[in-house]
Amino acid sequence: MRIPHYILPILVVVALFGGYVLRTSFTQPTTSVALGSGGGATLTCTVDGLKCKGTANFFTGLYEGTPGVSGIETFATEHRAIFTYDPKVISPDNIRAIMEAPIPFQDGTRQQVFTCLSTQ
Amino acid sequence: MKKRRHPTRWLRYSLLTIFLALTTYLALGFGKRSFESFCPFGGMESLWGLFRVGEFSCTLGPLNLSILIGVLVLALIAKKAFCGWACPIGFLGELGARLTGLFWRRPPQPAGETDRSWRLVRYVVLVLSLYFTYKMGELILRGYDPFFLIFSGFGHGSLGIASWIVLAILIIGALIIPMFFCRYLCPLGATFDPFSRLGLIKIVRNENTCTSCNLCQKRCPQNLAPQAVVKLRHHDCTLCLECIDACPVEGALELKVTL
Repeated sequence: MRIPHYILPILVVVALFGGYVLRTSFTQPTTSVALGSGGGATLTCTVDGLKCKGTANFFTGLYEGTPGVSGIETFATEHRAIFTYDPKVISPDNIRAIMEAPIPFQDGTRQQVFTCLSTQ
Repeated sequence: MKKRRHPTRWLRYSLLTIFLALTTYLALGFGKRSFESFCPFGGMESLWGLFRVGEFSCTLGPLNLSILIGVLVLALIAKKAFCGWACPIGFLGELGARLTGLFWRRPPQPAGETDRSWRLVRYVVLVLSLYFTYKMGELILRGYDPFFLIFSGFGHGSLGIASWIVLAILIIGALIIPMFFCRYLCPLGATFDPFSRLGLIKIVRNENTCTSCNLCQKRCPQNLAPQAVVKLRHHDCTLCLECIDACPVEGALELKVTL
């Protein structure tokens, strides 16, 4: 069966768009860490600086031992982190302050690595 | 007999320019996502990590995998149309191939057994890429990946002088042999091969009207030979339709759905 040439760009665009739509079926967190029991509220942050598995592990490590934070899921490709926390113990502003605090580097300087761009 | 100039190339170049512009836009940090998250080969590199620990490797994510699935389904329908109509590296390779016209009256084309042997190198690249990614859990070969090096501007993960040497070799290779990287080194192309061979849409030659002038092969970026077969099943056909554009006889080469 003979087909018109313009079918090819249509097929390419449909395949790529279909792939884009399908992405939610495969969404897996880059890291998923349970830090303790409790919780109840969730906070979703868009985090500048959360780029890969390495930065996600480092990011999660910032909250180890933090009272009130019971779990963190990170999604590096979407620059997103979801916190499960106890609002009686820690506030969203405190959670934000922890990630935005300057971090000491090996050369002796302190730099801010992560920035919370938005929360919901 | 001489037919009018077909507009297909300009349609294709327009689409390729849009994809190249979108990739550049993301690479410059304007979008929400990294340009790497749209690379289908990232989906291949993710498979082992997903299978073993349910996590994506390094900067890879679900979009890489879903785009890979989309383009593999596309390959079953329209062979390597992704390479010819969407891939930014394929487009840069094709523009490079046009530049070769400045240096060569007729670019050298490895033929026959040499060409077939060289095309096997990309399977080696595929195996090495997947082996090291699966073993290390990191995209440690991105320092040799022209897609990453060009669009990240030698960003985090590039290997300094080694990356420059690799990119220089690829550029020189592209100026000597058209589509050098795509033909001989692209691991994504190697991934597509078995799917592309089954692709339903093909270039079909009408033996009664074909004059065997070989213009189609001369214009084919992949140096395939539509004039030598009835149905062009070759897995490297990107359905760029340059052969149909070049053909001086109306209807001698056609785009058809056929087994």
